[in-house]
Amino acid sequence: MIFKAFQKKAPSVSEVAEFDVELRGVSKSFRGETVVREVDLQIAPGEFFSILGPSGCGKTTTLRLIAGFEHASAGEVVIQGNSMSRVPAHQRPVNTVFQSYALFSHLNVAENVAFGLKLQNLKRQEIKERVEEALTLVKMIDFAKRLPQQLSGGQQQRVALARALVNRPAVLLLDEPLGALDLKLRKEMQLELSNIHQDLGMTFIMVTHDQEEALSLSNRIAVMQGGRIEQIGSPAEIYECPRTPFVADFIGDTNLFLGRSREHGNTIQVSTDEGLDLVIQPRYQLPSPMPEDVVVSIRPEKIKMSLQPQANQPNCFEGRLRNVMYKGTHAYYRVELLQGKMITVMYPKASNNLPSPTTPVYVLWHPADCLLVWEPLPTGKATPTEEEH
Amino acid sequence: MPKKARKTKSKEPKLSKPPKLKERGQGNFFEALILLLPSGLWLFLLLVLPTLVIFQLSLVPDIKPGMVVDPSGIENYLRAFEGTFLWVILRSIFFALGTTFSCLILGFPIAYWIGYMLPRGWRNLCLLAFILPLWTSSLLRSYAWISILRPTGLLNSVLVYFDLPPIQILNSPIAVLIGMTYSYLPFMVLILYTAIEKLDSRVLEAAADLGAKPSVIFEKITIPQTSPGILAGCLLVFIGSLGDFVDPELLGGASSMTMARLIYNQFLGTTQNWGFGSALSMLLIIAVSIAIALLLKYGDRSATEA
Amino acid sequence: MGFDFPKGRLRQRRHFLLGAGAALASLGLSTGLSSCGWTLANVRPPVTGSDPNQLFIYTWSGYIDEELLAAFERETGIRAIVDVFDANETMLAKLQAGAGGAYSVIYPSDYMVQKMVELDLLLELDKSLILGLEQLFPRFQDPVYDRGNRFSVPAAWGTTGLIYNSQALKQPVEDWQYLWDNQQALSKKITLINDVREVMGATLRKLGFSYNSTDPQQINQAYQHLVRLKPSIAAFTSDAWAPQMLAGDLLVSMCYSSDANQVIAENPALRYVVPNSGSSAYVDTIVIPKSAPNPQGAYAWINFLLQPQIATQVVKNLKFATPNQVAFEQLAPDIKQDQTLFPTPATLEKLEGITPVADEISAIFDDYWTRLTSA
Repeated sequence: MIFKAFQKKAPSVSEVAEFDVELRGVSKSFRGETVVREVDLQIAPGEFFSILGPSGCGKTTTLRLIAGFEHASAGEVVIQGNSMSRVPAHQRPVNTVFQSYALFSHLNVAENVAFGLKLQNLKRQEIKERVEEALTLVKMIDFAKRLPQQLSGGQQQRVALARALVNRPAVLLLDEPLGALDLKLRKEMQLELSNIHQDLGMTFIMVTHDQEEALSLSNRIAVMQGGRIEQIGSPAEIYECPRTPFVADFIGDTNLFLGRSREHGNTIQVSTDEGLDLVIQPRYQLPSPMPEDVVVSIRPEKIKMSLQPQANQPNCFEGRLRNVMYKGTHAYYRVELLQGKMITVMYPKASNNLPSPTTPVYVLWHPADCLLVWEPLPTGKATPTEEEH
Repeated sequence: MPKKARKTKSKEPKLSKPPKLKERGQGNFFEALILLLPSGLWLFLLLVLPTLVIFQLSLVPDIKPGMVVDPSGIENYLRAFEGTFLWVILRSIFFALGTTFSCLILGFPIAYWIGYMLPRGWRNLCLLAFILPLWTSSLLRSYAWISILRPTGLLNSVLVYFDLPPIQILNSPIAVLIGMTYSYLPFMVLILYTAIEKLDSRVLEAAADLGAKPSVIFEKITIPQTSPGILAGCLLVFIGSLGDFVDPELLGGASSMTMARLIYNQFLGTTQNWGFGSALSMLLIIAVSIAIALLLKYGDRSATEA
Repeated sequence: MGFDFPKGRLRQRRHFLLGAGAALASLGLSTGLSSCGWTLANVRPPVTGSDPNQLFIYTWSGYIDEELLAAFERETGIRAIVDVFDANETMLAKLQAGAGGAYSVIYPSDYMVQKMVELDLLLELDKSLILGLEQLFPRFQDPVYDRGNRFSVPAAWGTTGLIYNSQALKQPVEDWQYLWDNQQALSKKITLINDVREVMGATLRKLGFSYNSTDPQQINQAYQHLVRLKPSIAAFTSDAWAPQMLAGDLLVSMCYSSDANQVIAENPALRYVVPNSGSSAYVDTIVIPKSAPNPQGAYAWINFLLQPQIATQVVKNLKFATPNQVAFEQLAPDIKQDQTLFPTPATLEKLEGITPVADEISAIFDDYWTRLTSA
C-alpha cells in the first residue's frame, strides 16, 4: 500500500543536490582516539544504504555524525547540499530509529509518535491524522494508548519507526534497528522495513553488524573496519568481489590463503604460505605492478570435492575429511589438506556414505572463482568502487 | 490517558490454587507474626504509644508539668488556628515551601551536572564532596552562617570593601531560608542525582532528533522523566524543613517563630504549655504524615532508598 | 474526666509495659495515677546508684570555670561535671522532662526556688552539714523567696539592666525607654532576655508599674508596648548576645549584670546600666534536688563556695557579686566600688525581686509571651 503522506517531500534544495547525504573526509576522535577516519560517502536520494561492520568499527559514530549527536573533528557532513557543520541535531532534516528504541516512557504510543509533529506547531487535526497514518503503517494503531513499557520489543521497534517516519524526514537513520529482536521477528521486520522503504521512497541509512540483513535490504553497503570504509558497493559486489581481505573474510564464509603473487600471462599464480600453488584468473582489472603480498579467497560453495584425483587440473589438492556440519539445506565439509591447511567446502546436501578419515579426498576449484585481494594502499583512503565484475 | 492504559495493563491468567495453600498460608501467617513481633513491639512502644500520649496531652488545655492529665477538649487545636499561631503555621509552611523551591532550583543544575554531564568516574567523588557538609553538625553549619551573615560578618565586610551598603540579613526570614536551603540542598541533590543518573541519553537524543530544542527537551523530557525523583526530593526537603528547629532558632532570631520553635518553647522554653505544644506537635505529625504518604505513593522509591 | 481505666486492667497493662518504662521516663511521664488520669512529669528519683566521686552541676553559663572545678577536685577529690541553662524555666522543664536524677546541684534564681519548693522538688538542707552561712550579708540570711534559707544557699546576686556600646551610641542609655525612642536606629541591634517575667517586668517598670504587677490591664499594656518594639528586636536570648555585642553586631542588650561584667572586661567601650525607672534584682542560689545523686558531694560544693577565699576568687575571675559579706570585705577596693557589680544603695532602692505569681496570672504572662515571640 502506498501512503501519499509519506512520499518523500521535495524541498527545493534536494532537487539541486545530487546526493541526500554526503560525508567529505569526516573524522571523529574521542579523547585522542580516532573512531572514524577520513570517511567519504555519497548517498543518493531514495537509496537504502547500509553501514556494515563489526562492533567498534565506527559505524554507529558515523551515523551519529549524520544525525548531529556528534560533531566531526575534521571534514564535513552535507545533507541535501547543505553543510551541517553548524546545524544542531534538532534542526537537521533527518530522523533516527535508535537501537534501544529510546521511546519516551512517560508518553503513550500516540504521544510518542506525535512528539515531533507537535514541535512543528501543526494543527491538532493534522497531527492526529498523521499519527494514525504512521501507526497504521507500522501496524500499531491498536496500541495507541499503551505506554512503551507495556509493549514487546518488536512493538516498541515499530513505534520507534513510526515516531521517526511521521516527520517525513529527508533521510531516515536506523541504528541497529532490529538488533534486539529474535530471529523470527527480525526476518519479519526486515521484510516490513524493505516494504516501507519501497513505499515511501525515502533515503534510509542503516547501521548493522548483521551482514545478512545488510545484504538482503540494501541498495548499497559500506563495510567499515577500524574507523575506515573498506569497501562500498552493491550487495553483490561486496559479496562477489571483496576488495580487501577484511571484507572477504567478514562477508559470508570463505577460505583465505596468504601468499605471494606472480603474473603468468592471463593468469596469476600465488604460492601460499602453506606451500600450495594456486592459479587465479582475475575477474577485474588488477593494478600494475601487482602487489606482491596478496590474499586469495575461495567461497566454500565454489569448491568441488571428489574421491578421484583430477589430473592436469589447476587448484586441485588432496586432503582428508575431518568433519561434517549439517545445515539443513546444505552441509559444510571440513577437509584438511596434506599441506596442513583446513578448507571448508559447501555442498547442497550431506552424502550418505562419507569417506573415512583415512581415505584421500580431492578438492578442486576453478581459477575464475578465486578472488584476489590485498591490503589497501597505505594512503588511508578506502578503495573506490569500480563498476565491473 | 496513561492511567487508563495502566489499568488495561495485564490481566494475569488466574492460576488454579494448589489445595495445600491454605494450610501453608496459615503457617506463614504465624511465622510472619513472630518475625514481625520485635519490630512491631518496637514501633508500638516508641512510635504509636508516645504519639497516643501526645494526642491525649493535646486534649488538655493549659497543662504544665505536675498537673493531672485530664483530657477535656480541643481548645488547644482551636488556639493553634487563632491569629498569631495561624501565622506561625503559615510561616512554617512558607519556610518549608521556600526551602523546597530554592533547593530544587539550585539542586537540579548541580545534580544534572554531576549525574549527566560529568564523566562516570568523577561522579561519586563529586557527589561525596557535595554532601560532605552533611558530616558536620547542623548546629555548626548554622553558626557558620551566623558568622557570614551577621552585621559585621563576612558578607558585609565584602560589601563594604566594594563600597556597597551593608545589609541586615541575620535574624530575618531571609537568613532562615538561606540556612535551611543550605541544610537541605545535599538531600535534594542526592535524590535528584539518582533520578538524573538514570536518564537515558538516547532518549534525550531522540527528542533532539525529533526537532526539540535543548529548552524543549528539558521541559518535555528531562523533567517528566525525572519527575518521580523531583517529587521525592521536594517532599523530603519539605518534610525536613517543616520540622527544622536549628536554622530558624539560630538564624531567625526574634523574627521567625516556626512551629518547631513554638513546640520547643511550649515544652522547654520559658513559658510552658504541654497541651498546646502537644496539639502543635500533632498538627506537625499529621502534616508530615500526609507528605510521607504522598512520597510513598508518587515518589521514586529507588531514589529515596539510595 | 480522663481515660477511666479499670484499675485491675491498668495494673496489668503497667506490668506488661514494664519494659517501656525508659521510653515513658524520657517523655517525663510517670504513672502517678489518680482515679481520673495521670500526673504529668513527676520528677523521678535516680534509678542507679551514684558515684561519690562525681558531682553533676546544672548552672547558668558563666558561673563556673575550669579553675574553680580544678580547685574543688584538689580539695575534695570529687570531679564536678557542669551543664548549663539560660533560663530558669528551661532548667525546670529539663528537670521535669526526665533529667531529675541527673543533677546534684542546681542554680535556680529566687522565684524559681519558691516554685521548686512548691513542686516539692528540693531537699531541705541539713544546716549542720553547711559551714559559713553566717558570713552572708544580713539581707541574704532570710530572703523572701526562701525564709531562713531552708532549701537554698545564695550563691550570687545581680541586677537586670542594659548593656550598650558607648562608642556606637551618641548618648548614654539611661532607661528602658531608650529602646522605644530609638527603635528605628537600633533595628535588629537589640536583644532582650529570653525570660517572660524579666521582659514583661522591665516594660511594666518603664510604664511606672511594678515588676511583679498582677493587674491584667497593666500586663496587657506592657504587651502592647513590646509588640511595637518587636520588629526591632534581633533575638530573645539570655547569653548569645555577648559575642555579638563584642563583635559590634548589637548595640543594646538586656542582660544580667554578672554576664555584663564578663563582657565589659573584654571591651571597656561597653557600659552596663540599671535603668532609671527601675529593674529587678536576682539572687541565684544553690539547691539540692530531692532526686540528687551524691548529695554529700553537693554539700561539699556548697561548703567549698562559702569559703571567703574561694568566694573572692570567684568574684575576681567570674565577675559576679557575692552575697558573702566576709568575702566582700576582703575584695580589692576597685572591685568593691564597681557599681556594675555592687550597685549603690540608691540604685538598690529601685530594684525589685521577681516574685512568683498566681497560676492564672502566670498563664496570662505566658500567653502574651508566646504571642509576642510568635508574631
